[in-house]
Amino acid sequence: MIASAVTATPFPAPWPSSLLKALSTLFGADLEPLDEPAVLELIEQARAGDRAARQRLYRQHVNRVFRTVRGLLRTDAEAEDVTQDAMFTALTSLGRYSPRSGTPFAAWLTTIAVNTARRRFRRRRPELTATGELPDVPAVDTDVGDDIDSARQRAALLRAVAKLEPREREIVSLRYGAELNAAEIAAQLRMEAANVRKILERVRARLGERIDALMKSTGVSA
Amino acid sequence: MNETHLAALWSQLGPDARRRARIETRLFEWLDASETSLAGEWLDLLKVEPVRGLALAAAGALSLGLMTPVGWIMALVLG
Repeated sequence: MIASAVTATPFPAPWPSSLLKALSTLFGADLEPLDEPAVLELIEQARAGDRAARQRLYRQHVNRVFRTVRGLLRTDAEAEDVTQDAMFTALTSLGRYSPRSGTPFAAWLTTIAVNTARRRFRRRRPELTATGELPDVPAVDTDVGDDIDSARQRAALLRAVAKLEPREREIVSLRYGAELNAAEIAAQLRMEAANVRKILERVRARLGERIDALMKSTGVSA
Repeated sequence: MNETHLAALWSQLGPDARRRARIETRLFEWLDASETSLAGEWLDLLKVEPVRGLALAAAGALSLGLMTPVGWIMALVLG
């Protein structure tokens, strides 16, 4: 009897992981990324008006959207506004998303985010409206509370990215911010995947050189 | 710089917890506002500030009542 009661008691989950998950959720992010079928299920629930599902969709994707647009914009504040606008557009247009087109939800969402970032520049920089391209040298801001080394690394990356051509900046932001592969980037930017790979290789080398130089000048190892 | 190194560096561009929470709060306020009907807004106002809500409703009804005959007369004069 006692033995069966003991074996029936579920073994408690290790507390650090559950604590981390609870803290992460408290601060507005989902710790574990969901796979595509689980995301599709959330989309269905969100379409049916489930607020919690919408919140989980937001928490699953907010970091990715912010990281993508941050490489395209001048400041964290602008990236915050664009992330908010893009998430609003996506969450109110879920009916337009069709997984049958073969586009993963994250790729669809980052397309909205990149278009929102482009629109922002059309509004703010009228001299660039003809092509809708992004400015050459965005400014860099850092949070005061950041650890100094990581803040310098972050600033060096942003400075190096700012020197790239607008198309290169979009490609590298979609690769490392949105975590899209070359084929998905190519589909989004209407380019050949081989061309995207070639540009990524070239840009990676150039970013490496620039970041190393900036780190050496500030005395921090990358 | 290799793929992994750049990916790790790029992950530092993500929003901090404070910024993420701020975006979430504003976003869900917008979503709630976009989905609340006009009647719902009025009912909420009546719940929170019944006197001011009734006064605004009365003023709205009065202005509709007054403006409609004025509109007819203007239409007759101009037409």
